[in-house]
Amino acid sequence: MEEDRINYYILFEDYTQGLLMQELLRGEQIKSRIAPTPHAIQGSLGCGMSLLIQPEDLAAVKRCIACKKPEYYDIVPLPCQIQPNRNQFC
Amino acid sequence: MANYAEMWKDLGMDLASHDALCQVLPTAFGDVYLSQENRPQGMGFWDLVVADIHGIRPSELIEEQKKGRKVFGTFCVYVPDEVIIAADGIVTGLCGGSQFWVPDGEKVLPKSTCPLIKASVGARLGRTCPFFRIADLYVGETTCDGKKKAWEILGGDVPMHIMDMPQMKRPQDMRKWTDEIREFAMVVEKVTGNAITPEKLNGAIHIINEKRRALARVYETRKAKAIPISGKDALLVMQIAFFDDPVRCAQMANKLADELEQRVKDGVSVFPAGTKRILVTGTPMAIPNWKLHHIIETSGAAVVCEETCTGTRYFEHFVDETKTTLDEQYEAIAQRYMNIHCACFTPNTERVDDILRLAKGYQVDGVIDVNLKFCCLYDTEGYTVEKALKEAGIPVLGIETDYTDADAEQLRTRIEAFVEMLG
Repeated sequence: MEEDRINYYILFEDYTQGLLMQELLRGEQIKSRIAPTPHAIQGSLGCGMSLLIQPEDLAAVKRCIACKKPEYYDIVPLPCQIQPNRNQFC
Repeated sequence: MANYAEMWKDLGMDLASHDALCQVLPTAFGDVYLSQENRPQGMGFWDLVVADIHGIRPSELIEEQKKGRKVFGTFCVYVPDEVIIAADGIVTGLCGGSQFWVPDGEKVLPKSTCPLIKASVGARLGRTCPFFRIADLYVGETTCDGKKKAWEILGGDVPMHIMDMPQMKRPQDMRKWTDEIREFAMVVEKVTGNAITPEKLNGAIHIINEKRRALARVYETRKAKAIPISGKDALLVMQIAFFDDPVRCAQMANKLADELEQRVKDGVSVFPAGTKRILVTGTPMAIPNWKLHHIIETSGAAVVCEETCTGTRYFEHFVDETKTTLDEQYEAIAQRYMNIHCACFTPNTERVDDILRLAKGYQVDGVIDVNLKFCCLYDTEGYTVEKALKEAGIPVLGIETDYTDADAEQLRTRIEAFVEMLG
């Protein structure tokens, strides 16, 4: 994935909110992926689970949220952190 | 709102150091896992587990401890989960797979100890892993010299029980291992305060067999020409299996297997047609050690099977469920576990047989024999393994590595050359 690409992370107060949101998005055929919340945007939030959204799906996500009103904490943009050839492991 | 920081504090963890680990995990997971396309939808469960790996499962364990249940931390696939579950205990794996924990291990262990042992000891003594804080009793075993000495050090910090593994597989060794399991059962009964009955043990045997069947179903799909799941994802499923509730593990693995079987029927592959198929054999890859699989799968090949403790050794063979007395059941358990072919045994020709069988069954183009640095057992056995593979006409690459990033580029160069050589 390109480094200059912006990813969006939906943050939650607990993972059950996140799972419900993913179920909802899946029902609307909107792509999302469960991801560990990047440390840079987690702040004091306890939940480490987030949903990773691609920019092209953001508008649909917002429409779905406005319509179904699921619980979530925030949606945060972040330059793409994913670099498969970084060769840095845990 | 999830407040795991409070839980970690109550567990006596070093929050500042732990925070440093929490910073690197999402990045590594993103690079290794979220960079993949067309992953099975079922992997969402394992992504969730990793996203809150030090939160969700540890908090479940603590809730169970509040009800009086005991948690047993184990380090090896020879420790029989069935015995613990029969006494209403909970099993959690404790093997350390991160370089993050190694420096704390090296404070008390020689540098020339394998990284898995150093990381495991470091995770406990550095107070940076909740699982190592939660376990009421650690269960060690005598599968190598490094572990035997490490248990003495850990035993100064946490209650430990050691199971004495036989080194050979003669009838008297089988009897010895049966006795060892019987003695372990008495320890488990004492710790939990619950008696193990034949009925309870049979129930536990069934639970663990079901888990093995589910994991075997996932693996079976990897034999297909169209590979429905990456080696990295399969590895993650196995790594989490050591930590998760066994019934849930079986449910989720079966759900994933349903999806993978459908993918096989539909000819859906996560790799381009013609991608070279690799069997990885050797030392275990404890979570979050994803290094070698990631390098292989970003070097033009696919890992289709692992003959490791975090692979087929974990789920192959079942315990006989027809036995009705504890003595018969302990013997049946011993027989199943002695069917795991670790390099700690001599002779260990069955492991070579396993590797050749798996190479054929999974239609591999080549084998990568991996050895964690300073594991002299697997390192030495590598000679026999590689000789047998060459005699069978199967290309093999021997690799020694650890948890650091330092050799990643060098490994990539060697693996790319190996894959190219496969044609």
